[in-house]
Formats: sequence, C-alpha cells, structure tokens
Amino acid sequence: MNRDEIGELAAAYALGGLDAEDRGRFETLLRAGDPEAVSALREFEGTLADLAAAAPEPPPPAVKSALMERIAAAEPAVRPPVRSLSRPRRAIWPVVLSGAMAAGLAAIAVGWSVSSTYEKRLDALARDAEHLKAELRSQQTVIAILRDPATQLVALAGQAPAPTARARMMWHATAGGIFVAAGLPAAPEGKAYQLWAIAGTNAPVSAGVFSVDASGTGSLSVQPLPGVATVNAFAVTLEPAGGLPAPSGAMYLLGKS
Amino acid sequence: MSSAGAGSETSALIERIAAGDRDAFSRFYDLLAPIAFGLIRRVLRDPEAAADVLQEVFWQVWREAPQYDARRGSPEAWLVMRAKTRAIDRLRSIRRRDRTFVAPMDESVARSSEEPAENPAVVAEDRSLIQTALAQLPEPQRRVIELAFFDGLTQSEIAARLGEPLGTVKTRARLGLERLRGVLRGERVSAR
Repeated sequence: MNRDEIGELAAAYALGGLDAEDRGRFETLLRAGDPEAVSALREFEGTLADLAAAAPEPPPPAVKSALMERIAAAEPAVRPPVRSLSRPRRAIWPVVLSGAMAAGLAAIAVGWSVSSTYEKRLDALARDAEHLKAELRSQQTVIAILRDPATQLVALAGQAPAPTARARMMWHATAGGIFVAAGLPAAPEGKAYQLWAIAGTNAPVSAGVFSVDASGTGSLSVQPLPGVATVNAFAVTLEPAGGLPAPSGAMYLLGKS
Repeated sequence: MSSAGAGSETSALIERIAAGDRDAFSRFYDLLAPIAFGLIRRVLRDPEAAADVLQEVFWQVWREAPQYDARRGSPEAWLVMRAKTRAIDRLRSIRRRDRTFVAPMDESVARSSEEPAENPAVVAEDRSLIQTALAQLPEPQRRVIELAFFDGLTQSEIAARLGEPLGTVKTRARLGLERLRGVLRGERVSAR
C-alpha cells in the first residue's frame, strides 16, 4: 500500500465514512502499529478536533449533573444502567424457573419413594425438567438481549478467504450476545472458527468457538466478557479445534460496532 | 481552536480520570464538553438527542480513560472522535427508525424530520465559524468532508449521491483534510 492510499484510508477512517472492507484493512494496519497509518490518522483526527473546536456550544447543565450522579452511583457497582427504563423485566422468569426446578425436584423425590419400576421414567422426566430449565435460561438471555435498547447489532462482513460470508452479532455488554454466521466454508479437519471481541487497542479476547453445518451456517451464544467494557469490533478466524488464547489463523469475518 | 497549553492540561486530567479522580473529570468536562456538544449538535439537530449523546460520550470518557493512548493523539481528538461516532450512530438509528416507522420516504424528508425548527441565530453563528474554515477548501473537497463528517454518509454513499467514482471521493477526502489542516493551523495554503 502506498503513502497516498494509506492517507486516503486514514482520512476516511477519521471522517467515519469508511466502507467495511477498507475499515478492516486500515484497522489491521493500526493494530500492527504501522507508523504511516498511525501518524496519518493522528494528523487527520487532530485536524477534525480543531475543526470541531471552532464551534463550541454550551451544553445543558442537566447533562453534567446527571453524569456526576451516575459516576457517584457507579462507585460501588460495576455497571449501573443509564436510566431504569424497564428494570423489573426479569421478575417473571425466576417464578417460571423455580416452577420448573420444583417440578424436577418433585419428580426426583417421588421417584425415590415409589417402586423402582418407575425410577427410570421419573429419572427421564427429571432430565427433561433439567433440560427445559436450561432452555428457559438461555431463552431468558435471548429475550433480555433482544429487548434491551443497549443491545448493539453488529454486522460482520466476509474477508478475503470467504468474501460472501456474513454474520450478525447482537451484543449486550452485561448480558452477553447472540452470534449467527452464514456462508462460511466447512472448517477443515481439526479446525474450528473462533469469534474474537476487540476492545480498543487491547489484544482480542476469545468469545468462543463454533462450527458450521453443511449449509455454511453456524451460531454461538456468547457469555458476557469480564473486563471488556466496550467492544469495538468482532472478528472470526480459523483456528485449531478448541480455539487458541490469541488469534493465529486467517480472518474470515470482521465487523465494527 | 485548541492551543498547546490546553492540550497539556487535558492530558494530565485524563491520567487522573483514569485513576478515578472525579474532580479531574469535572474539570475535563468543563473544558471540553462545549466542543463535543457543538459537534454533536451540528450532526443531530434535536437538542434532547444531542444532550443524551453528550452524556453517553462523557460516560465513555469516565469508563475508558485508562485505555487512552497519548501516542494515538490528543485527548481533544480522542474525545471529538467519540462524540462524532456516537452522534453519527444516533443519526443513523434515527434514519433507520424513520424509514421503518414513517413509511418509505425521500432522504430529504428524513433529514427534515431530524431537523426541527430552531433558533436561526444560533445556527447561523455555529455554522459561520466552521464554515469559515471549510470555505477555504475547494467546493468538491468541502462537500465530501461535510457529507462524511456531519451527515454520516459512507464513501460509497457519497459517491452515489454526487455521481462521482469512489476513487475520486477517497482522494478528495484526503486532499480536503490535508488542506483543512493547513487552514486550521493558519498556514498559507499552497496550491499543490
């Protein structure tokens, strides 16, 4: 890539109008610490900051007081909500779950006391209850993610090895995420796809490993990532099955949040 | 415009914010919130949405100050980029909402719904200062910068709107920013 081309990428990156593919290329340069890219971006961002500084406007005083309150409230807790828009949304789930749990426990309790011919059946019922409970829990997470306005929808675009692949991540910092991908080639023997969350200039954090079916579709339910406040991008690479602590293989999907 | 003196103060402040110093945050806010808010208002005309975005941006400052990397740029630039990104995200979500819930509409209608009537004197003043700088760019370069930075269009969208090749749009963005840098530093702009 020549100097003008890097300059063009940096200009568009600073302005915010970079198309997904170019953005991926430029961020790869930045992550690699390319001096040309870093200094061009620094210059252009500084220029735009100076431009913005030419037209200050006093903000409404309520914003600062709300922020200071929010900071004071955040002191003990890790991550309080901005405003409690719909705080009691979870209330019904514990009831349903405890019902399922009670059913499971009752099935077990009765199973022990009744003749052993029923033991197997009751055991199966208990397993069903356990299974339903787990399913409810995962659906509860899905619903919480879908209903929360803080959930981000991140589109991932196919990279060089699979340009037509695409994926969506519904990401919520404290509830986790739902990731679906399509158009990926089947992973070779001994390999799997690994999803990464990239926050700022930190090293990518693994968000899990997944495989795709014959139609190239795969999905992953992602747990919240401890210590990662804001994810700037998600990426998928091909790695040895089981995944690695840091990406090593080719990048198949990339999307910025 | 930012001066070297203000820059070193904000750098020191951001270190203290990273350590959880609320007074430093308060001072940082007082110094830079007007710049961030001016920019957000330029992108989002709805004052309530703008105030909301401003709060999110400074909350991000509080949370992410430990990640600030001085090698990547000044605290002012760090903040302005966050303000711009958040404001553009909000603008796009307003556009999506309008397209989804208000029935298919023309882009100009979508814009007008984001821009309620407001005090024309404020807008005129706000624009004149930025306009003074932008007016020193050749018109095609100025258009590309405005459409990207203030209207949140991607380069492909700009190319489609202007009926120009994508490569031309990319070159104009770079040349425009290079020239703007000279203008804002008060250098004489040489015709290269």
